[in-house]
Amino acid sequence: MEVVLHLPAVPNVELVAAKAVETLGEAMGMDRDGIEAVSVAVVEACLNAMEHGGSSFVVRLAGEDGVSPRMRVEVEDQGRGFDPDACPPDDSTRVHGCVSKRGWGLILIRELMDDVQISSRPGLTRVRMWKELENAP
Amino acid sequence: MNEPQINLQTAVLDDGLGLISAAGYINNEGGQAVADAASELVGGGCQSLVIDLEGTRIINSIGVSILLEIMEKIMEGAGKLAFCNLTPTIAKTFEIMGLDQYAGIFSDREAAVTSFDTDGTA
Repeated sequence: MEVVLHLPAVPNVELVAAKAVETLGEAMGMDRDGIEAVSVAVVEACLNAMEHGGSSFVVRLAGEDGVSPRMRVEVEDQGRGFDPDACPPDDSTRVHGCVSKRGWGLILIRELMDDVQISSRPGLTRVRMWKELENAP
Repeated sequence: MNEPQINLQTAVLDDGLGLISAAGYINNEGGQAVADAASELVGGGCQSLVIDLEGTRIINSIGVSILLEIMEKIMEGAGKLAFCNLTPTIAKTFEIMGLDQYAGIFSDREAAVTSFDTDGTA
């Protein structure tokens, strides 16, 4: 079971990906909390793809069987790329009175999903993430 | 669960407590709509606010960052803020981004409203 979306970088298109997560998650038997966690993660990945990528990007969703069935989500863009290791740390002191309130996307993705792999170079950035069916936020 | 347009309702409760009920996607536009509603209530004399997210199932970090700005403005005026009816994912997002350090998080509206009555802090 796989869903592939070729999405233009237009406002609120990330909700199309979130809707696909909801549909696939329900078909896989994922609970509501799990679906909502994946939805927020895919929204953040789509926003990053639109901010750093080009005029379009690709979202792939798939169910993976096994001892621990899980949903796999990939968001891929062909933008300029970035250094994943240079992303800001999870530091709550950034919140109140901080200079910038941006840059939370990858932190949220890593916290809400069970496993995350990021590869990036100029012309191809891929965020690949997994959520087990039984793991709520 | 993925309505792009946010639906807001506001009210002033007893003791001048402001209430905002938000249903829909809290992105940049949704966050700004909540911020505008909060500013209007504070400008009308509400020192403390309850933001009820019962109808909100999905958010993004830009929208939450705008909510952070609301908190800062309210706190600068010695006001207080409480959230209620968060989904587990939204509650975790607030925790990750540190909102729970500056605003009360409550399971339902009654608990949020009562928190202002009991100790004056949310």
